[in-house]
Amino acid sequence: MGFSLIAASAIIGVAVLISLEIIVGTTVPTITDIHDSYDDMRVRAVEQLQTDVTITSSVWNNPNTILSVDNTGSTTINTSKCSILLNGVIQTFTSTVSYFHPEETAQFSFPTHANPGDIIKIITPNGIEDYYEA
Amino acid sequence: MGFSLTSTQVIFFIASVIVAGTVSGVFIAVTYDVTSSFSDRGERVQDQLDIEFKIINDPDSIPSSGRNYLFYLKNIGGVAIPTTNATFTVFVDGELIIVANYSFVDTSIQTEEVTTLNIDTDDISSGDHTLRIVGPQAIDDEFTFTI
Repeated sequence: MGFSLIAASAIIGVAVLISLEIIVGTTVPTITDIHDSYDDMRVRAVEQLQTDVTITSSVWNNPNTILSVDNTGSTTINTSKCSILLNGVIQTFTSTVSYFHPEETAQFSFPTHANPGDIIKIITPNGIEDYYEA
Repeated sequence: MGFSLTSTQVIFFIASVIVAGTVSGVFIAVTYDVTSSFSDRGERVQDQLDIEFKIINDPDSIPSSGRNYLFYLKNIGGVAIPTTNATFTVFVDGELIIVANYSFVDTSIQTEEVTTLNIDTDDISSGDHTLRIVGPQAIDDEFTFTI
């Protein structure tokens, strides 16, 4: 009877150890991944709060409209990931700089004539927007 | 009598090992199922935290092409988003748009990129409307515009 009890306890003990290993082996990576995603989301939210742009002018310089944009926030912006809309239509553009640092002005050129009264909108890579009436 | 006692002990021993083995097997299987579900739930939570998108149209000027209005979706999250009629659901003024009446230009949007959503002009009349786009893991964005 005593030996049976010891054998049964040993089997259940090993099962408990295996279960603990399964729990720790699955739970720890899951919690780490969620923590990383949460941290990334927090960084994105902070960057959105720190990002700001202002369109200062729009000039037609045949064959392009030249848009001057000030980085009035405190983050560096990748200009190739910005989006520009003219009267609601997305434009293909080039920029004078690849990265647009705080307190700097970048010029964006797109081959469509912005007439007076036309609405231009710029959207940064993280979704911050500014409007300008040409 | 001595043999009977030994037999009884052997039977008790085998029975206890079988019971302990069964209990252990069930315990390990249940633990594995629970942790697998926890892991799956963790992946979904991770997707919910990573996915974020925004409708970037000018609300006063919605462009059109042929029989479609064009809406621009920018991926402002941390992962690429699959853009298919299966992963996205579209509502205009709370009314569900049938799958046949909207489509995406691309099959996925990388982070910080833009894709175009085409919605049949028959589903949007003149006037003010609210567009709600629901993406993977029920992440959504709402946009009020005028046609």
